[in-house]
Amino acid sequence: MAAGGIARQDQQPVFVLHTYPFKETSLVVELFSRDFGRVAAIAKGARRPRSAMRGMLQAFQPLLATWSGKSELRNLHSLDWGEGLLLLNGEALMCGFYLNELLLRLLPREDPHTALFDYYSQTLRYLAAAEPMAPTLRRLELKMLQELGYAVPLTHQVEGTPIEPEHEYLYLPERGAVSPGDNETGVQLSGKTLLDMARDDYSDPATLLQSKQLMRMLLAHYLGDKPLHTRQLLIDLQEL
Amino acid sequence: MKNPTSLDNLVEALRCLPGVGPKSALRMAYHLLQRDRNGADKLAQALQGALEQIGHCSSCNNFSEQPVCNLCATGNRDARLLCVVEMPTDLMMLEQTHTYHGMYFVLMGRLSPLDGIGPREIHLDRLLKRAQDSIVEEVILATNYTVEGEATAHYISELLKARGIKVSRIARGLPMGGEIENVDSGTLAQAMMERRAVR
Ligand SMILES: [Zn+2]
Repeated sequence: MAAGGIARQDQQPVFVLHTYPFKETSLVVELFSRDFGRVAAIAKGARRPRSAMRGMLQAFQPLLATWSGKSELRNLHSLDWGEGLLLLNGEALMCGFYLNELLLRLLPREDPHTALFDYYSQTLRYLAAAEPMAPTLRRLELKMLQELGYAVPLTHQVEGTPIEPEHEYLYLPERGAVSPGDNETGVQLSGKTLLDMARDDYSDPATLLQSKQLMRMLLAHYLGDKPLHTRQLLIDLQEL
Repeated sequence: MKNPTSLDNLVEALRCLPGVGPKSALRMAYHLLQRDRNGADKLAQALQGALEQIGHCSSCNNFSEQPVCNLCATGNRDARLLCVVEMPTDLMMLEQTHTYHGMYFVLMGRLSPLDGIGPREIHLDRLLKRAQDSIVEEVILATNYTVEGEATAHYISELLKARGIKVSRIARGLPMGGEIENVDSGTLAQAMMERRAVR
């Protein structure tokens, strides 16, 4: 055996999505890497007080990771700080947790998504810079579904008719916008909302509201029955 | 060969310990039964005793044998200050500094959104009640500077501020005796961003 030499990857740009305790002193780290997609690795001894990796295994920080191994659980050898420290505060932190939960739920392992990685990285920068959160989240949600190969048609109806800004539509998962009237369940929205989303323009409050309803319905469809922890946590906090 | 059921039960029970898998659980079970039956007996009794005796202090939520723990009951602490920590070990560390003489609230955890650990699990309802006893004047948030600890501090501070309570957060930055040359760039960047005016 070449001691994992073949499968060794040096200084890969990554973000930590989540960590779990593993055995007495180690952690399993779920990484989102730019060139290899989601990778899980063991950080040996990372829970020891003097571990060099301990303080760095934090979500939302650009890191450079070196790992080896070919099994489903790689060995994480070292971490370095990537470019620019990101400071997410308050609500932006919760948005970050929400994005990480979406990635963990929707992104299959070992499936590279370079464009999504760059978009995620940019999104964290916006969140750290306290940019308006709602449009930032809508953009990433849409990008995530598109990058993962789920069609979210915004400019045309299924049969090819262009979306008209002043028309009302019913949006159905897996199909897109249809004329309302059929008694199917979907999200009701205006053509303008769809076209705004296609143009990446969230300046209209109506667009912001309807795009949120649309993305929530689509994500619920692709996530299945298990609700998102992050959403439940925000509901619980509001009840206090 | 099939193991006897009580051995299976013991192995299964030991697996509730953090980081103990089936193999190490079996090793522990063999050790206790073969090499140290005396120790096993002590362990069983100590566990039983602890379970019966130890509950949570009604004031600070730390482990306690009495309804109110010793620290909360002394009466010589400054009841105007309430310091919120994640774990009992954090309280112990702060006590060892001998610089803080107020009261505590131990969350017994932190908000961990991706693990499904929410406000209920860390007893935020009890903390809110505790902080509004009309004696507490300032709540000091001493949760960890991890992303989870930060999120916990943020939501607690929002909840308390909405109820008109003054909130502060323990500072972070260079360690005692820290040389810039040897400090990690994360800490250094934080220290730069959170610099303060020199008085
Ligand atoms: Zn107490």
